[in-house]
Amino acid sequence: MGAFRIEEADRPHILRLLIVWVILSAIGIVGVLQINYPPYDQSIQGQDQASTLKLLTALATPVFIAVVMMVVYSAIYFRRTTKELVDGPPMLGNTPVQIAWVAISAILVLFLAVVGIATLSSENVAQLVGAPGRTIGGGQTGSGTTGEENKEIHVQVIAQQWYFTYRYPDYGGVETTHLYLPVNHPVELHVTSLDIIHSFWAYQLGVKADANPGVDNIFHVTPQKTGSFQVRCSELCGLWHGHMVDSEGQVVNQSDFDTWIAQQQKDFETIASAVPSYAPYYFPLPLVKGS
Amino acid sequence: MIRRLSWVAAGVVVVVVALVAFVGLFMLRQPGPLEGTTTTLHLETVAAVGQALEWPRPNDPHPDWVGYLPTTTWTVPANSTIQVQIDQEDGATGLRNPFWGKVFGTEGGNMHVTFFDDKGNPQEGDMTSIDPTQAAHTFAIPDLGVFVPLLGVNANAPAGSTNVITFSFKTKGPGRYRWQCFVPCAAKTIFGNGGPMQTIGYMGGTVIVV
Repeated sequence: MGAFRIEEADRPHILRLLIVWVILSAIGIVGVLQINYPPYDQSIQGQDQASTLKLLTALATPVFIAVVMMVVYSAIYFRRTTKELVDGPPMLGNTPVQIAWVAISAILVLFLAVVGIATLSSENVAQLVGAPGRTIGGGQTGSGTTGEENKEIHVQVIAQQWYFTYRYPDYGGVETTHLYLPVNHPVELHVTSLDIIHSFWAYQLGVKADANPGVDNIFHVTPQKTGSFQVRCSELCGLWHGHMVDSEGQVVNQSDFDTWIAQQQKDFETIASAVPSYAPYYFPLPLVKGS
Repeated sequence: MIRRLSWVAAGVVVVVVALVAFVGLFMLRQPGPLEGTTTTLHLETVAAVGQALEWPRPNDPHPDWVGYLPTTTWTVPANSTIQVQIDQEDGATGLRNPFWGKVFGTEGGNMHVTFFDDKGNPQEGDMTSIDPTQAAHTFAIPDLGVFVPLLGVNANAPAGSTNVITFSFKTKGPGRYRWQCFVPCAAKTIFGNGGPMQTIGYMGGTVIVV
């Protein structure tokens, strides 16, 4: 292992680069921390994703600035000044430098892995009814509130060419044409398909789940802000894939949700007897149809 | 200095022009000439477009494909009432999702249907839903919230019989809205959703609201 030393002639460059890098990195980090990252904060899971994205961007900023700065600096200060094509000075491996960049990279990656695992596990904690540890709507899940308030609502998302419908098994299996969710209430989404492969993407809620026929794909979300959201298909699924959008998804307060679901149940009565009982998934049979 | 001022002036001009264009295009938009009126849409659904009773297309590249006729691009006025009559010639094939057996988004939440009962006698009445297994097609414009199941012609009806379904719905503002059938009625294709279900001009198209 050779000793790490800096040539005398290189010191002004290193010092200059270091100062510029520190200043630009500080400005860059402050700047990226001001950005409101998607998918924003309409759900706890969305907020977790936005926070993770913000952290990743902040950590990547000094690396990005260092790379760009080295390229620009080298192009200005180390460009070839003579017309003759000559080899540059031979560059041999520098073990301390290699150890340093491997170690710093490893530390960064491991740190991000820990952050990612913590985010995932915190979402899992939020799913559990009565489990302590996550704040929902300003209260403590499980430890500070009880029973009904944090009981998960189950919603089945049914994809079909080219629309999503939704069933609420906790409300008699009522099927609806739009997705309404109560705020501050954990929701268990069961995503499936009636025909081919689709993908349910409630962008503002931070939920994206494959919708496969014969599969009950379970995802969890806890909306924490009222407002509208959009559902769209994110799996190319045929002629009207681009139109497989529902712009009328809503997160509403509990009383509005109760009113809405009661109206849906009333409307559903006319077709209820013809709709099969709730099932976790569907197989598209018969395989061949047509008149 | 002069150059900088020129750039600033150019920027101001661009902003002003953009503002004027925005106001002109969107805020001062005049309503369409037929806005607020009632328009009639007369359609036919048939299992083979080459053999339709009213608007046959024998020279169609796929004369044996199911389709809506005479066209699948409909231009209607904005914020108006559209009265629809569909002459439905096909037998039932059934809905994959029985939920679409219910009528949504029409005025009064229903439709008027003339049909044939099991004895082949003509009947008529208002309906808010049909037996999903008896659907032949649907008329659906999802972005307008309109979903209407079309009752299949009873197997005991006289040959050449047609069910007539009438209803009305309201359009929103100008735009292009897709419409489609929710019965997987494309015969001989897997899941019944190939061929005419994946080709504009048969079981799907565009409602142009002007």
